[in-house]
Amino acid sequence: MKNFELYEPSNVREAVATLVKIGPKAKVIGGGSDLVAGVMKDWVQGNGMPLPDALVDLSTIPQLKGIKVDKTGATIGAMTTLTEIVESKDLQKQFSLLTQAAHSVASPLIRNFGTLGGNINQRPRCWFYRGAEFNCYKKGGDFCYSVGGDNRYHAIIGGELCYIVHPSDTATALLALNAQAKIAGPRGDRTVPFDQYFIGPREDVLRENILKADEVMTEVFIPTPAPGTKQAWSKLKNRQVYDFAIVSVAAAFTTDASGNWADGRVVLGGVAPVPYRATNIENQLKGKNVKNSIKQAAATIRTAARPMSMNAYKVDVAQTMVERTILGALG
Amino acid sequence: MLTVDALRVVQDPKYAASLTEAHWHALIGDPVWSELVAEYPEMVAPVQDLYAAQLGMPLAKAEPAADNPPGKSDQFKVIGKSIPRVQGLGVVTNLGQYVENMRMPGMLFTRTLRSSHPHAKVKSVDTRKAEALAGVVAILHRGNLPAEYRNVKLGSSPPDRYLFNEEVFEVGAPIAVVAAENEHIADQAIHLIDVEYEPLPATLDMMEGYQPNALKQWDNKENGTIVAITPPLVRGNPDGARADVVIDAVLTRATEQHMALEVTNSLMYWDQDRLIVYYTCQHAHGTRAGLAQALKLPANRVRVIQTGYMGSGYGYRSGIDLAEVHSAILAKITGRPIKTMYTRAEDFITRTHRPEFRNEMKLGVNRDGTLQFGHFRVFANAGAHRSGAANGSWFNMQNQYKIPNLKLEAIDVFTNSFKSGPYRCVSHPNGTFALEMIMEKAAAAIGADPVEFRLKNLNEVGNPDTKKPFSNPGIRECITAAAERIGWKEKWHKPRVKEVRPGVFHGIGFAAHACSHGAGTDPATGQVIVNTDGSVQCVSGCTDIGPGQRTQMAMIVAEALGVPYTSVTITAYVDTDNTTDTAGTNGSRQTNTGGRGMYEAAMDAKRQILKLAADKFIADAKRRNEELQVTPEQLDITDGRIFTKSDPSKKLALESVVQGSGLSILGRSIYRQDTKWERTAWAAHAAEVEVDTGTGTVQLTRLVAAHDVGRALNPFAVEQQIEGGVVMALGAVFMEELLKDTATGLTLNPNMLDYRPPSILDVPENIETIIIEKPKEYGVFGAHGIGEPPMAPPAPAIAAAVYNAVGAWIDSMPMTREKVLAALRNVR
Repeated sequence: MKNFELYEPSNVREAVATLVKIGPKAKVIGGGSDLVAGVMKDWVQGNGMPLPDALVDLSTIPQLKGIKVDKTGATIGAMTTLTEIVESKDLQKQFSLLTQAAHSVASPLIRNFGTLGGNINQRPRCWFYRGAEFNCYKKGGDFCYSVGGDNRYHAIIGGELCYIVHPSDTATALLALNAQAKIAGPRGDRTVPFDQYFIGPREDVLRENILKADEVMTEVFIPTPAPGTKQAWSKLKNRQVYDFAIVSVAAAFTTDASGNWADGRVVLGGVAPVPYRATNIENQLKGKNVKNSIKQAAATIRTAARPMSMNAYKVDVAQTMVERTILGALG
Repeated sequence: MLTVDALRVVQDPKYAASLTEAHWHALIGDPVWSELVAEYPEMVAPVQDLYAAQLGMPLAKAEPAADNPPGKSDQFKVIGKSIPRVQGLGVVTNLGQYVENMRMPGMLFTRTLRSSHPHAKVKSVDTRKAEALAGVVAILHRGNLPAEYRNVKLGSSPPDRYLFNEEVFEVGAPIAVVAAENEHIADQAIHLIDVEYEPLPATLDMMEGYQPNALKQWDNKENGTIVAITPPLVRGNPDGARADVVIDAVLTRATEQHMALEVTNSLMYWDQDRLIVYYTCQHAHGTRAGLAQALKLPANRVRVIQTGYMGSGYGYRSGIDLAEVHSAILAKITGRPIKTMYTRAEDFITRTHRPEFRNEMKLGVNRDGTLQFGHFRVFANAGAHRSGAANGSWFNMQNQYKIPNLKLEAIDVFTNSFKSGPYRCVSHPNGTFALEMIMEKAAAAIGADPVEFRLKNLNEVGNPDTKKPFSNPGIRECITAAAERIGWKEKWHKPRVKEVRPGVFHGIGFAAHACSHGAGTDPATGQVIVNTDGSVQCVSGCTDIGPGQRTQMAMIVAEALGVPYTSVTITAYVDTDNTTDTAGTNGSRQTNTGGRGMYEAAMDAKRQILKLAADKFIADAKRRNEELQVTPEQLDITDGRIFTKSDPSKKLALESVVQGSGLSILGRSIYRQDTKWERTAWAAHAAEVEVDTGTGTVQLTRLVAAHDVGRALNPFAVEQQIEGGVVMALGAVFMEELLKDTATGLTLNPNMLDYRPPSILDVPENIETIIIEKPKEYGVFGAHGIGEPPMAPPAPAIAAAVYNAVGAWIDSMPMTREKVLAALRNVR
C-alpha cells in the first residue's frame, strides 16, 4: 500500500478545512472497508484517480453518528454503522426498506465496520476497474474492457463509455424512500435529494455522485412515508453472505382502497451505473390495480434495457424480481 | 542439470525404456514425479512395477505384511472410535503455531513483481528507484541472480521455468523480488520497478492451442501448444460397435482454485551452511527435496519444518514454487531471515489450479439398458507449464461400468494461463462428471431409472484391461444406501412435473463414483519408540494439513501395539531432520501410506516386545524355580499387558518388559505396497434441488453422500472429510471459476469476493453421510482413504437433479445463473 497521512478531525468544519488544504489527493474515510482494504490495498489507480496522499478519518467526529426519528422523518448520521441501522427499532418500524437493504450488505463483520456514508459513496465493483492492470475510463484511461470482455455483471441500463453498476444497497433503498443527503463543504451546507445525487458516466465518468473532493456527506434524511406505504426489498446475489446484488429491487408505494397504485417508487440496484428509478414501471402502474397490472408493468424493463454480450439474463431476472417484489409488498 | 520429463515417463513406454540410471535417480527426486505418484497411482503403477530397481523401491517382502487381518470391528479397542484431533485445541483457538503467525528478530519481508503479460520477452528491469527507497535491503532479478542459480529451473520442460525467465509464459511470472524491512515497504518498492516488455502472441484458449495451425511457442513435436497426446486406450472394437441409441455430449469444467484459508507462506534462514525452512507445505520431505535440488545442496543441508498447524493445502502445496527458491537465495544474500507471504491474488494466480477440462463423450446403449460402446476424449488445459491431467480422467471411464467396447483419448494443451495441478484430486472429479452425465443422459434416452441403470451396468470385478481385481468393492452398497436414504423410489419423477411454488420446481438426481485415490503408495515409513516407562512415541514424516492424519496414526499404533490410546503421543509438527519420508499428504494416501508405515513400525516394535516378554516369562519362572516354555508366538498384548494366549491370567506389564531390557524399543517399518489390487474408492451421492425458473437459482435442499471407506478408523474424522469435501465441491458446482480477460489474459476475479467460495448460508443444512465399511485386503485395518473422493459426485448428482426438476441439461460447470437461465430458454 502507498504511504499516506492520516488526519483525525474533531468536527466537520475541521474535516472540510483539511480537504480544502490538501486538495483532491485527500480522501474521506468512513469504515475503510472499500477505500483502504480495497482501492488502496489493490493499488486501484490511474490518471483520473490518483491514490490518496492523505486520509481524513471521520470516525473521530462524534456528531456524524446516530439515528434520530421524529414526526417528519429519520435523520441518520453518515458515520452510523450499518449494524446500528439494522438494529434500530425506530427505523424498522417506519423504514423497514432501509433496514432490510442494510441487512443485505456484505457480512456482519463488514456491517459492524461499514458506515451509511461509506456504503452510499463506495466505488464500483467492476472487475476491470478493480484490476490494477486495466487502465479503464473510470480511472482516467481511454477504454472500457467490459464491452468486448466478460460483462456478465455489468450494466443493462444506462451504460455509456463505462458499464459499471452502482454497488450500494442502501443507496437503492434511500432513493425509493425519497431521501436526501446533507453535504458539508467550504461554501457551507447543502441538501441534495438522492434523485439528483447520483451521476452516470455521461456526466462524469470519474465519479458516481455529485460529491466534490472538498465535501463531506454528513447525514441522510428520510421523510416519514405516507400512511399505509408498502415497502419491500429484495436482493438477488450469487452468494448469500458477502456479495453484491445481481439485481436488487426497492419499492415503496401506496395504494387506494381498491388496490390501485396511488403513488410510489420502484428502484433497481445492480442494473445501471446509478441506482435506477424505473419510472416507466411506476407510470405503467399509476391508477391501475397493482396485482393485475404488475406483470405487464414489470415487462417494460425490457424496453429500457440494452444488455451486452453476456448479461441479457439480468433483464429476465430484473423483470421477475420487480414482479415478485411488488407482489410481495402487497402481502 | 539432468532433467527427466516425468509426464512422458508414464505416457510413453519407449521414453521410459531409454532412460539411464542417472535419469532414474533424478526422477526419484523430481517434484513432478512425486506429484504423479500421489495423484495418479494407477498411471505410475506399471512404471513402478517395471522399473522398481531403478526407482530404488524397497524389495517386495516374501512374507505378507505383518499379520494384517481386516479384523472384526468388535475386537478393536481404539479403531472405530471417534477421537478428536491431537492439535484440535490449537486449531480452534489459533494458539497453534501457524507459519503465517511466525516472526523472527531481524527478518525481512519479500514482495514479488510479476508479469502483467501472458507471453512476453523481458527486455529490461530497472530497480534503481526501488533500491533508493528507505528500508529496501535487496532486490533479486534476472540481471543480478548469482551465477550458480542461473541454470536452475523447476518442473518439466520445454518450455523452461527458470528462477527468472527472459521469456515469460504467464501473467504472474516473477520478474523481481524485493526484500525489505517490512511488508509495506516491499509492496511500495515493487511499484517503483520499471520493466520493459516485448509482448509476444499468447495462446489463452485451450482449443485454440490444439489447432494444427496454432503458433508454436517452443520446439514442439506436437501441433500448436499441445503438451501430450496420450496413446489411446482401446478395448474391444469401439469403432465397429453398434447400439440402439447413441448419446453425444460435450461436457466442460472451469478452472478452480483451492483457496486454502492460510495463504502460502514461509520463513527461512540459514544456520551456517544449512537452510532452515518453515513452510506451509503438504510434504515436508518433498519441499526439502525440491529446495535441495534447486539450491544444489545435499538433502540433509535443508531442514524443513511444517508446524502441524496449517490453513490446509488441498494439493497445491505438495512441492515448491519459484518464490521459495527466491526466498532461500535472498536469505543467503542478506544473511537475514526471510518471510514470504503470498498475497491472496498471488495464491490465486501463480500457484496451480484444477485445470479446465473438455470431454467429448459418446456412449452407445441398447434399449434393454446394456452398454455397448464408449468413445471418450478428454482435453485438459495444462496452463503455462508442462503438465498433464487429461488421462487422469480415465479411471472411472475405464473401471466403473461394464463397457465392452471402449476408446479413451487424452490430450493436454499448454496455454499462457493458469497452471494445472492437484486440487483435492486433479482429474477424477472431471472423469466422474463426464461419465455420470453421459450415463444420466443415456438413462433418460432409453427411459430407464438412473439408479437401476447404474446397478445393472456396474463393474464389480476389477480393471477390465489390466485384470487387477478390486478388493471387496462397496459400490453396490453405496448406491443402494444413498438411494434408500433419500427415498429415491418415492421421489424420482418425470422431468418438470413437480412445481413446489410458482415457477419453482423440485428435482432429484444421482451419481456414482470410483477413483484411485486413497490407495496408499511407497515410501510408507515410520518409527515407533516404546519408552522404558511403557509410554509410546510415534515418529512420522506425514504432514498433517487438517484432516487429522496424525491423530489417526496414533490410533493405528495404539491398536496395533495393544496399548491404550492415552499412552501414545504424536507431535503435530514434522521436522525433516528427524523423520523419514513417507510421501506427501496428497492423493488421499496417508491412511495407507504414513498410516501403513506406523502400523508396520508398531508391529515391528510388538515383535521385539514379545520376544523380550517371552524371555522375561522364562527368566521370572526360573527365579521361582519353575520350568516354562514360552515363545513370542504364544503371546499377545492388549491394554499394555502382555499375556499368554493360552492363559490370559499370565501377564506382564509392558513397562516391566521394556525396563528389563534397559533400552527404549525402536520399531520401524519395512514395507512395500503390493501391486496386486486395483485399489479403488467408491461412492454414490443423491441430491435434491429446487430450481427457480424466474431467477435461475438452484437451491440444493438435501445431499446424501455414501462412501465405502473400507474401515472408518476414526468415524468422526471420516464424516468431517465427507462433509467438507461436499461443501468444497458445491463451490465448484455453483460459483467457483477462475476467470481471465480473453483479450489481455489478466485474471478477473483473484479474490474471495469475486471468485465466490460458498458461505455457510449457501450450504444445505442436510448433508447426510453414510459410511460403508467393506474392509480392503490392502488397507490398514481394511481402510481406504477418503480425502478426495467426496469432491467428485456432487456435480453430476446436482446436474441430474436440475434436469429432473426442469428438463434442461447443464453440461458445463459451474452451473451459474446465466447458464441455468440460458438452458431454461431452450426448454420453455
